Formats: sequence, structure tokens, C-alpha cells
Amino acid sequence: MGSTFWKRSSLISIGIALFLVVMAVLVNLTSLSQYTWLRVLFGVSALNFTLRASIPLVLGALSGILCERSGIINIGIEGMMLAGAFAGFVAKTNTNHWPLMSSLIFSVLIALAVGGLMGLLHAILSIRFRMDQIISGTVIIILAAGTSSYLYDRDAIAQGKFSSVAIPGLSDIPVIGPVLFDNPPLTYLALLLVVVVHVALFYTRWGLRTRAVGEHPRAADTVGINVNRYRYVNTSIGGMLAGLAGGYLVLEAVGQFQEGMTAGRGFISLAAMIFGNWNPFGALGAATLFGYTQALQNELLLAGVTNVPRQFISMLPYIVTIVAVSGFVGRVRPPAAEGKVYETEGGTE
Amino acid sequence: MRTFRSTWLFALLLISALVLAACPAPAAPVADSDAAAPAEAAPAATEAPAAEAPDFKIGLVTDVGRVNDRSFNQSAWEGVLKAQADLGLTEDDVKYIETQDAKDYADNMGQFIDAGYNVIVTVGFALGDATIEAANNNPDILFIGVDQFQGEALPNLAGLIFHEDQSGYLAGVLAASMTDSGTIAAVLGTDLVPPVVAFNEGYIAGAKSVNPDINVISTYHPGEISQAFVDPEWGAATAKQAIDQGADVVFGAGGITGNGALQEVATHEGLYCIGVDTDQWDTVPAAQPCLISSAMKLIVPGVAELITAAHDGNFSGGNVFGAAGLASFHDFESVIPQEVKDLLVTTKAGLDDGSISTGYGN
Repeated sequence: MGSTFWKRSSLISIGIALFLVVMAVLVNLTSLSQYTWLRVLFGVSALNFTLRASIPLVLGALSGILCERSGIINIGIEGMMLAGAFAGFVAKTNTNHWPLMSSLIFSVLIALAVGGLMGLLHAILSIRFRMDQIISGTVIIILAAGTSSYLYDRDAIAQGKFSSVAIPGLSDIPVIGPVLFDNPPLTYLALLLVVVVHVALFYTRWGLRTRAVGEHPRAADTVGINVNRYRYVNTSIGGMLAGLAGGYLVLEAVGQFQEGMTAGRGFISLAAMIFGNWNPFGALGAATLFGYTQALQNELLLAGVTNVPRQFISMLPYIVTIVAVSGFVGRVRPPAAEGKVYETEGGTE
Repeated sequence: MRTFRSTWLFALLLISALVLAACPAPAAPVADSDAAAPAEAAPAATEAPAAEAPDFKIGLVTDVGRVNDRSFNQSAWEGVLKAQADLGLTEDDVKYIETQDAKDYADNMGQFIDAGYNVIVTVGFALGDATIEAANNNPDILFIGVDQFQGEALPNLAGLIFHEDQSGYLAGVLAASMTDSGTIAAVLGTDLVPPVVAFNEGYIAGAKSVNPDINVISTYHPGEISQAFVDPEWGAATAKQAIDQGADVVFGAGGITGNGALQEVATHEGLYCIGVDTDQWDTVPAAQPCLISSAMKLIVPGVAELITAAHDGNFSGGNVFGAAGLASFHDFESVIPQEVKDLLVTTKAGLDDGSISTGYGN
């Protein structure tokens, strides 16, 4: 298992995340803080923005990892996210009269459920009906975009969103405290899920079987693993995570729904998943990098950097994404049986 | 048998997905229903071209977005409805078309022109060029361009513009008076739109007039004009970023993007936010915990007055300034000290009589 985890690309992306934390501590706690440009690069506000921007990417990438590790390509993360966001919004607007917390938690559960249903739909189309998984994913995206904008009631108002909850003690640590331990609940949940998915994939029987199903379904079948059942379950859980990412956008990041509000985050999640070599921690590192480029873009604007044309600053996230994915995509290896329909010998299900 | 059934399932799914994607706007039929209008409107127009038209029809073309966007388009439409009520017109005399794509501006105006409408209201800076072209080609129709500065006055086109810099100046005075940290922020739409720049410049000038050493963090959305006002996630994240840098009053000026900023500030205790364009106490209730006021431009009465002038034959082209100022403090009435209120009153008076300059546009 060690070799699976410590693949080079995931090392690189984890390194990026660690580098950011170390620099932030150094810059904010030593005399380095007198340099404005260092504060722009590594200030607490830049790191907070990074975390915020990377949470939906992390959840989307985890969704992709669960699906693809079991052999189902999930290009529909964008659609599952949007469906989750919309479902969370509808649930929130209908429970505005409840106490804020219970209404928000209920809405998150609805977002999870609808995301899960979208995942299940993807699994049914891909497994039961043997539809091309790329096409099935595209159907999910179009379905979510069309349905959500058709049903969206523009007069509906979601009242309130999650606020930050400081973890006593830990949030008093300089620099790291305000960045990592003073966040709204779904941010903690997402970070926790990275650990959970990692442990589940690499240290449990369920994880071993999931990976076997994704790498060599015939062999897995031979030892008595129900290949398609694993795929159904994983894709549905993956859908739930993507739905949670959508719920995060509506219920924690913004507090309101907007047509097409996922704005390509599902696709960037896929890039993060690939850059992170289908590893939860690798994906976290990659998402952090992508989030950081957005933070940097904003920090430069906030700091009033005007001697660089704004268009070049705006390009930053895209350039880093392209370099990251094109530079590393050749060195990562997807699960071997990804995208292939599995049929038992004899052809009956 | 199974493949047969599955084919049907795919087909059904794909069709339903495409059908739903194709009809995102339940309001769109408003434009279609106008197709019936030309038949009845055309004879009316030919019947009495010289005298006052017995039939007075008003059409409104939105910028990309909905007529109930709780912001700009909605205010302009409410102005049309106010004029309709004031002039005693029927519901059929006023129509709107919601623009789906920036390339459709001219076509949407064309629908009203072909249907013989008397007054056409176009909403937003972005429709400026298309409105000038339409006004040039249709000298008999009166046009009202909300937020459209007129470089050259056309007799049949009135640009309804506002002193956003003055409204922003008042917001800046208020923000600088209410801050404890000495740092205030503005989260803005794009600097590609002059009124947004005016709000910002005025805000900074107003804040500095209270405290010359104040630290103002202000930032524009980095994206294109088409995204800049519809990105609440960016607005919220940027507001948080400004809060992390010590800002305790945030001015959110940029449509839905700005609304995202207001809602973010509302989740942090003890901070204040200031809205824009309309009284956002009503339009963004989620911002009420922090919303001390809004830097308004009074679009509703501005549009209504211009339409009434057009109806009564007093219409004159060129730039027409609408009123701008701060909205009421609502629940913060008791929080804001009396001397701040007095300062705002004297500042407003100074701006009105020209003794205070915002420095914008000079």
C-alpha cells in the first residue's frame, strides 16, 4: 500500500500544500512580514481564500476517485454538483421557518440524497444499460443544468448560511488556527472526508475490493466479489460527495442559488483528481494548488497591483491548471479497468 | 427485449434533458405574446401619426438577466409599472423582453419597434450602443436608456444617469464613521462599467474625507462583463478575504456578485455592510444582520418621470440625472450615532449644492 500512496505526483501536490503552510507560518510570525509581497503571497487571508476555493474541488475530486477507483468514469461530477446545489437550495427555501441549524442540516442531507440519486442514475445507465460512460456523464450534466434552471424559482430566497465555528484551543494557534480551525462546518467535514476516503480505500477490505474491481474485475469476480454491486455502491457514494460539494456552494459559500453556479468546478475537480493521481491526499494537494492560484489572483487585485495588466492576473488560475495537468498527466496511471463494462462469463447478469 | 427498452430509456432521458435545457425561462413567452401585438398596434400608429397617439405603449428590454433580478432590471421595470399606473394605462400597454444573450439587444428592441411602441426603455450600460443605433434609425420613437451616458444628445433618446459617485461618497462617509478597525472594503462588479467605478471612487473619496488615513481595500471582479455581476461565490470569498485583512465595513456593489459579499458579511458578528442601487434591506433579506444602508440610485422614479414626460410631450433627449442617495438605516437607526447622521445630512447638502466635490470625473 505504501507505494500506492507515495506516488510521485501525489507527493508533489502534498508538497505544495505543506509548502504553503510552512511559508505562511514563517511569513506571518517572523520579521519576513515586513515585505508586502510576501504578505500578499502567504497572508492569512490568501490561505483562507485558498481553503474556501478548494473545498468544492476536493469534494468533487473525492467523488471522482470513488467512482473511478471502482472502474466507472465520472465525467458528470459537474452535473451532480449542480443537482446537489439546487436540491439544497430548494430544501433551504422550503424550511426557512425552521431554526437555522436544523434547516441547514436538513438541506445538506437533501443535497447528499439528490447527489446520490444522480450517482445511482449514472451507475444504472453505465452498468445496467451499458451506456458509454462519457455519454452517460454528459447526460447527467445536461439533465442537471436544464432541470435546475427550469425549476429555479427566482423569487425564492434562502435565509442564512453556515457561519464559522472556531474549535476551542486549536483556533488560538497563530496562523494555522484562523486558517484551519475557524471554519464553517462543511469545510471541516470535507477535510475529514479526505482522511476517511483515504483510510477506506487503502486500509479496509471494502477499499481493497473496490480497487480490485477497478483494476481487474475478472480476477475480483473469480474470488467471489460482486463487481457490479461494488460499482453501484461506489458511484452512488461518489454522487453524494459531489452533491455535498454543491450543498457547500449554496449553504456555506454563498447562501443563494444561481443558475449554472458550479461554473466548471466539476471539471476542475477532475483535473485535481488526475493531478492527484486518484489519491485523496493527492487530490487535496491539487485542489489546494488550484484554489491558491485563485487566491493569489484576488490578493494581487486587493493589494492594488496595477503595473501588471489585469488580464494577465486573471489568466493565472488557468495557466497553472494547464501546466499542472499537461505536465503531470503523462506520469499518472488511471485504474486499469476504468470505463469498461464488466460482464461475467456467460453474459448474464 | 432489454436493449429495446433501454433504447427507449436513453431516448426519453436525452429528450427530457434537452427539452429542459432549451426552456430555462418560464418568462420568455412574454416576448412571444408580443407577436400578436403588431396586428392591433400597427393600424393605431398609422391612424394618428400627427396628433397624440391614442394608444401609448411602453416596451422594456432588460440587460442579460431577469426582470425580477431584485436589482437593476427590476427597478427599471417597476418604474415602467409606476408610469403605467400614473398615466392610467392598461396592463397590455406595457411589455418587457428579457435579454438572454448580449447579441440579441438590437433584435429585442426591434420587436417593440416593429410593433409600433411609443417608448422603449433599455436597461443597462451594455445596451448603450444598440440603443443609440435604434434611436437614430427610428426618430419617431422615444428611447430611455437607463445608465447610458449620452456623448452626443439625440432628440429622441434620454440617458437616465445618476451621480453614483455622490451616492458612493455618502456610503464612504458612513463606512468611515462606523469602522473601528480603520480598514473598510468595497467588493465591486467590473471596472468595465463606468457607474461601478464612480461608486468606488466616490466611496474612497467619502471615506478619506472623514479619515484621511483610512485603509480602503477595494477590488473589482477580475472576469468579463458577462460574469462580473453574476458571481456571488467570488463576492462572498472576496468579502471574507477583506474581513481577514481587517475590514469591518464592506460595501458590496455589483449586482448578484455584491449580494454574495453582503450575505457573507452577515454571517460574521459585529461587522457592517452597505448595499447598492436599491434598498437592499428588501431585496437581500439575508443581509439584514449587517446592512446599515444602501447607496441607492432612484431608478424607479427616474424611469417613471421620463415616461410621463414622454407621454405629456415634454420629452427632451440627452443626459437626465436621476436622484441618488443613501437608503434608510432600518434596524440600525439606533446604532448609528446622531453626529454621523448629521454629517450625512450636511454632506448630502454639500454634494447637492456643489460645495463638496467627489473628485470623480474631473
